[in-house]
Amino acid sequence: MTLAIETTGLVKKYGGITALGGVSLSIPSGDCFGLLGPNGAGKTTLIRILTTLLPPSGGSAAIGGFDVVRESGSVRNVIGVVPQAMTSDLDLTGYETLDIYARFYGMPRKERAERIDELLGLVGLKDRARDLIATYSGGMRRRLEIARGLVHKPLILILDEPTIGLDPQSRHVVWELLEKFRSLDSLTILLTTHYMEEAESLCDHVAIIDYGKIVALDTVEGLKKQIPEKDVLEVTVAGIAAERAVEFAGALPTVTRCLARGDVLVASTGNGAEIIPVMVDGLKNLGAKVTRVVLKEQTLEDVFIHYTGRPIREEEAKKVSFLLGAGIPTRFGR
Amino acid sequence: MRLLAFIERDLRKFARNPIVVGVSILMPIIYLVILGNSFQGELKNLPLAVVDKDAGPYARRAMELLRAIESGTRTVRLTVSPDEEAAMRGLRDGAYKAVLVIPPRWSAEIERSTGPELGLFLDNAETISAQTLEAAIARALPEVRTGFVRIRENRAVPALRRVEIYRKIDYDQTLIPGVVIMAIFLGAMMTGAFNLVMDRFLGVDESYFLTPLTKKDMVVGLVASGLIITTTLALVVLFLGALISGIPLWRMLDARSAMLVLAVIMLSTLGIQGLMFLIMGRIGHPRIVGVLGGFLNVIFFFPSGAIYPVESFPAWLKAFAAVNPESYSVHALRSLFFKGAGIAAVRGDIFFLAGFAALTILAGIFAFKRTL
Ligand SMILES: Nc1ncnc2c1ncn2[C@@H]1O[C@H](COP(=O)(O)OP(=O)(O)OP(=O)(O)O)[C@@H](O)[C@H]1O
Ligand SMILES: [Mg+2]
Repeated sequence: MTLAIETTGLVKKYGGITALGGVSLSIPSGDCFGLLGPNGAGKTTLIRILTTLLPPSGGSAAIGGFDVVRESGSVRNVIGVVPQAMTSDLDLTGYETLDIYARFYGMPRKERAERIDELLGLVGLKDRARDLIATYSGGMRRRLEIARGLVHKPLILILDEPTIGLDPQSRHVVWELLEKFRSLDSLTILLTTHYMEEAESLCDHVAIIDYGKIVALDTVEGLKKQIPEKDVLEVTVAGIAAERAVEFAGALPTVTRCLARGDVLVASTGNGAEIIPVMVDGLKNLGAKVTRVVLKEQTLEDVFIHYTGRPIREEEAKKVSFLLGAGIPTRFGR
Repeated sequence: MRLLAFIERDLRKFARNPIVVGVSILMPIIYLVILGNSFQGELKNLPLAVVDKDAGPYARRAMELLRAIESGTRTVRLTVSPDEEAAMRGLRDGAYKAVLVIPPRWSAEIERSTGPELGLFLDNAETISAQTLEAAIARALPEVRTGFVRIRENRAVPALRRVEIYRKIDYDQTLIPGVVIMAIFLGAMMTGAFNLVMDRFLGVDESYFLTPLTKKDMVVGLVASGLIITTTLALVVLFLGALISGIPLWRMLDARSAMLVLAVIMLSTLGIQGLMFLIMGRIGHPRIVGVLGGFLNVIFFFPSGAIYPVESFPAWLKAFAAVNPESYSVHALRSLFFKGAGIAAVRGDIFFLAGFAALTILAGIFAFKRTL
């Protein structure tokens, strides 16, 4: 099995901030690999180093066997990238964008026309291809950018939060698209996300990244297995102080962790079905009223919380010049 | 193919902004009209009060000569004032730019050749008007009786007769080279490197950096699209400017000098495009370009000799003019338009412009950073 992407001890520092603190990854060809992390974890930084946009401060990375620093030109030929921010020229049409990009890769006219036609059909933009991108909705722009990333038939598709800012329908459309392209073009896909559901439904392998470090890496099933409590019990209670309820439920057998979210008790347990009657009766005896009980299978989110200790984190402010705002030579930070 | 696709992108984007196209043609033309009418080559209608305390034959002769200026070149507008004090008050209030006092017994002194003097009081707060008036009066009055009239505080402009060695040129025609240069500057300002700044500002640059486009592709592509757009704009501005100021360029330029004009325009464009790359290569906010643009336009335009002759600049400004590409463009265009010059007269300019363009574009490629 050949490796599509390999990194060893990648480090990236922005002034005093360490955005990546030694990332080592091996992604086999044909894999769909998810990089899961909260805001500011360093996902975009990692992607930008892999896609030759940023030089690493330390370590090395290779894509399709090419070193991202020394052979950046070859790397750019084998990857297709959908950046996190929307990056299409608003005053071009969808068709023009795809055509111009295909020419950057030297695709001959006929091949270009066929590929663009195919892609526009797949992303459902055939009717709007001759309109300016300025008139597209966010979801349409995303789909166009996915098509743009694929126009030259890359071996490796890299997407940075491909569904950010999309509504649930559009998100599912994007997922379906990625599944489809994966089987059509036998792509290797690397995507970053902070939606657990996305990683769970698309990816073969998932790495959890936090504070610039990989804290866990496995298949989705494997990750779930790594934490002992396979069920999550959510019990909505009334008429009792939260601390008392947490204290009681946390002490029950097989419950490894319990916390209160508003009036909902959230308990992690190895055996939910058995613990439900015990918990409900016990809470009643304490004078509480139980209005709702939900038993869920452990999700990636719980795995995530298990490893990072929190569901999401506020992004730290980027360094921007006090004197000049964001419009500054990048050397002074951007 | 990559390069052509990149150029096509720029051209398409530019064509989607017809207002920008219109404005960039209109602005230099408006400059021409406004400059042509505000800095008239010679000043006109400067109000001059004359207080005649002599009333002798030479005073009458002097008045006639001044009237001749008034109706001839119209440099002055005469007011005869019987009251010296009222005239001086008018001078201080700004009603007159100068007061000429003909003292009592002036004619008699001329007769006796005892060194007659006229009093000329000038509004020195406005140097240009003052100098013009002084020169006009000094030129006119010696004819009263040559060699006998002296003007007090005469900072002496000798009474030269103008000798014109070239075809008579109106002032707004002489502005044409400057206007073409301004069109080139404005064009270069909002194409080429400016697209880079906009791409960077909008974050679009990221998606281009992800493709096999090289540094050279990007810089050369942007310069090339800028060259196409700017040269076209400059030619349209030249054509319209010639129409407005009434120079029959198409009759004055033969095929050879037309080619030279085109070469000068293209080389000037390339030079300014390259310069913009050096300056804007790393700027990420269009507002900075806005601020810089106004500043750079003045910095390069006024010392180019487009309006005032380079020869009369102080030494330090002359030194700047010597490295200002716009000086060379103005000199070359002026020679080609008005002096019927051939390649020999503009060879130096073309060498300088070509060297400047090559240097700035190479430096631009070098300075351009193809990472975020
Ligand atoms: N140009 C920069 N200068 C300084 N710090 C930066 C820069 N870019 C990113 N950072 C910092 O590096 C860290 C990682 O940022 P990065 O954009 O990689 O996070 P991310 O995982 O993509 O987050 P998100 O989910 O919000 O997109 C953050 O702390 C961020 O503030
Ligand atoms: Mg990110």
